[in-house]
Amino acid sequence: MKKRFLSLLLSTAMIASLLAGCGSASTQDAGDADTKASETAQESAPAESEAPAETAAQESSASIVTEPTELTFIFADGDEGMKEAMNTIVKNFNDAYPDITVTIEPGNGGAYSEFLKTKDSVGEFPDIMEMRDTAMYVRAGKLAELPEDITSLFSSVTEFDGKVYTAAMGGENTDGIYYNKAYFDANGLTEPETYEEFLELCQTIKDKGDMAPLVVGGQDIWHLGFLFNKAYDDQVISQDEDFIEHCYDGSKDFSDPAFQATFEEMGDIMQYAQDGWTSTPDAQITTFLVNDMAAMLFSGTHMIKTIKEAAPDFELGWFAIPSPDGQLRLVGGSGIGGLAISAESAKDPNKKAAAEEFIRFFFSEETYKYYCETMNCLPTTSQAPLLDVDPVMLEIVDATAQADHLSPMWNGKTGNNELPPDFRNFTYKTCIEYLQGTTDLDAALEEINKTWQTAITSFNPVTGVGITVAE
Amino acid sequence: MNNKRQNKRKVDTVALAFVAPALILYVLFIILPTVSSFYYSLTSWDGISPIVRFIGLANYREIFTSARFGNALKNTIILTVFISVFENAIALLLALAVDNVRFGKNVFRSVLYLPVLISGIVSGFIWKIMYNYNFGAINSFFRNIGADGLCQDWLGNTSLTLLMIGIVLVWKGAGYYMIIYLAGLQSVSTDVIEAAQIDGATARQRFYYITIPLISGTFTINFTLSLINGLKVFDQISVMTDGGPGFTTETIVYLLYKVGFNEGRQGFGTAVGVVLLFVIIILNTLQQKILRSREVQM
Repeated sequence: MKKRFLSLLLSTAMIASLLAGCGSASTQDAGDADTKASETAQESAPAESEAPAETAAQESSASIVTEPTELTFIFADGDEGMKEAMNTIVKNFNDAYPDITVTIEPGNGGAYSEFLKTKDSVGEFPDIMEMRDTAMYVRAGKLAELPEDITSLFSSVTEFDGKVYTAAMGGENTDGIYYNKAYFDANGLTEPETYEEFLELCQTIKDKGDMAPLVVGGQDIWHLGFLFNKAYDDQVISQDEDFIEHCYDGSKDFSDPAFQATFEEMGDIMQYAQDGWTSTPDAQITTFLVNDMAAMLFSGTHMIKTIKEAAPDFELGWFAIPSPDGQLRLVGGSGIGGLAISAESAKDPNKKAAAEEFIRFFFSEETYKYYCETMNCLPTTSQAPLLDVDPVMLEIVDATAQADHLSPMWNGKTGNNELPPDFRNFTYKTCIEYLQGTTDLDAALEEINKTWQTAITSFNPVTGVGITVAE
Repeated sequence: MNNKRQNKRKVDTVALAFVAPALILYVLFIILPTVSSFYYSLTSWDGISPIVRFIGLANYREIFTSARFGNALKNTIILTVFISVFENAIALLLALAVDNVRFGKNVFRSVLYLPVLISGIVSGFIWKIMYNYNFGAINSFFRNIGADGLCQDWLGNTSLTLLMIGIVLVWKGAGYYMIIYLAGLQSVSTDVIEAAQIDGATARQRFYYITIPLISGTFTINFTLSLINGLKVFDQISVMTDGGPGFTTETIVYLLYKVGFNEGRQGFGTAVGVVLLFVIIILNTLQQKILRSREVQM
């Protein structure tokens, strides 16, 4: 009887202590959770650590959410490096915060934008996501504003009416020429200092006839966009940074000599592309470069890892193509996309706190260093981590620091320079038709003007058509 | 009299109760979306925003004045005619061959049916790899036999691309129509054939004057199916060319997808879908009228 009483007493004490623990957690209100969360951001577990949560992080998680919280997370998982990085970061986050479970849902690889729209239309919009079509989703009221303690982490942010909705995961993908250094050295070829020297270099390689000067994955039209953007920066942005705004207000159109020159510059460069470039997918361009089928390729920093994985001993060189006016114009800086939180999810204080904490964790020094190194991307945070990366990457970082002009891609701009949805693809497709000789320049530009006129009847930031923001 | 009425009402209620589940599902998933499509086709909805703006017939005006839609319609018609003719011609030849083969009839039938079992996406990928200019099997074969001049950029040459997609569609679809033709051929009474044979009809005469008229119902079915499939082509184009190079292989369904999902113009995309619905109805009615008049009933 005595024994039974003792065991009953002990059980009661244990239950009481458990309840007391729950009570202390549940008394935490959401506003307090926000403050605590920001305080614990720096205590997050490092990304590469296989060891689960540290005690401090475990304790802090109890103060972020008042009950076990589950979050869904979607990102564009077409790239293996991205998949690897995100899986590791999410695993480390889940280990560090036992009360929060972030679950990665498949992102459908290449057709990510469409996939996200489909998820939204079937009521499965994720709690956290990699957001690309930011402006469209902000206007639809689908995204939650990020708090100041997150936005202050970045050297620059994209604002919509003074509010920030995305945390840029990496700097805009800086493009340049990746080349076969061994081939260049063996043939006495050097990096060009001017645009004309670049064209001469291409001609020299073409005349030698042993490989194509340039490999282009034109079957994926977004790949062609890298070169198109270069030509557009050279010819249009060099003269009018607000060209698109002027097209919206009707003071300019796409028959403008500067835009014509963009197509002509594309023609000048693309004559050096390999045979069959229109049916070559982006995924094959590395094969051309590392197998001596092409001497150069024009793409972003994500290619470094791909090339090194395909041929670890490949001697890789990099240079930026200067503009015809001698200036160095590069893609760079924070873009419009990044990690975002669903507005619907943010209505739940626990989900909001957990999602914001995930973003803080992502940008904590060690995690973000790991992400940038894995993805070979330029950091966007004001206190950028010191990266241990390939020398080519460091060369690119230097080039962006020295560039005369650094801006996002022409289709990544906001405000009055935001393009109508998919106008970019229409332009690229028309450009392909021009490059293949299916249409001439005048007809191509006329078709672009027609499509533009149609597009601006339903989307025009200057007049406000199609810009109504949902409450 | 009253009893009869009561019975009729009872029967009607029972019948309705049986029909109701299917009817409700049909209304929910077919009728309502179709009706709402008509509504959305009159708006500039982007597919995401809760704001839906009514713009009247503007989408339809754009459709009928847009060069892009005209190009997509032209491509759709070319592909549809190509696959309707060649799928049926090849399927009929295969069916005749399999019907007359003495040994391994089932093996041939299964092998020829295999491409049908492969999904459109997978078959698109397989052929895309084979058509590849630099690494594809077709050009590699030409290079290996020293016929480099025959190498083509099969999916990059604007004058060839649509034909190349048509070939893939015929390759994938012919086996399906072959099975239907085979069923038609096997339903032709041997008595009639034997009677014609006794009367001195040659093999060609028997085929043209007996077999063909007696399987004309099968022609109607197959041409209708291949017409509808031709108008709906999407998978292979999405995988193999993404509507390109440029706009060379964009079809109506692909245009619908691109403007609706990529360009965020669900209203316009839905209007394209409504136009496609009418195109299918008109072409199918015409085709039925022509083919039905040639059918022979035994």
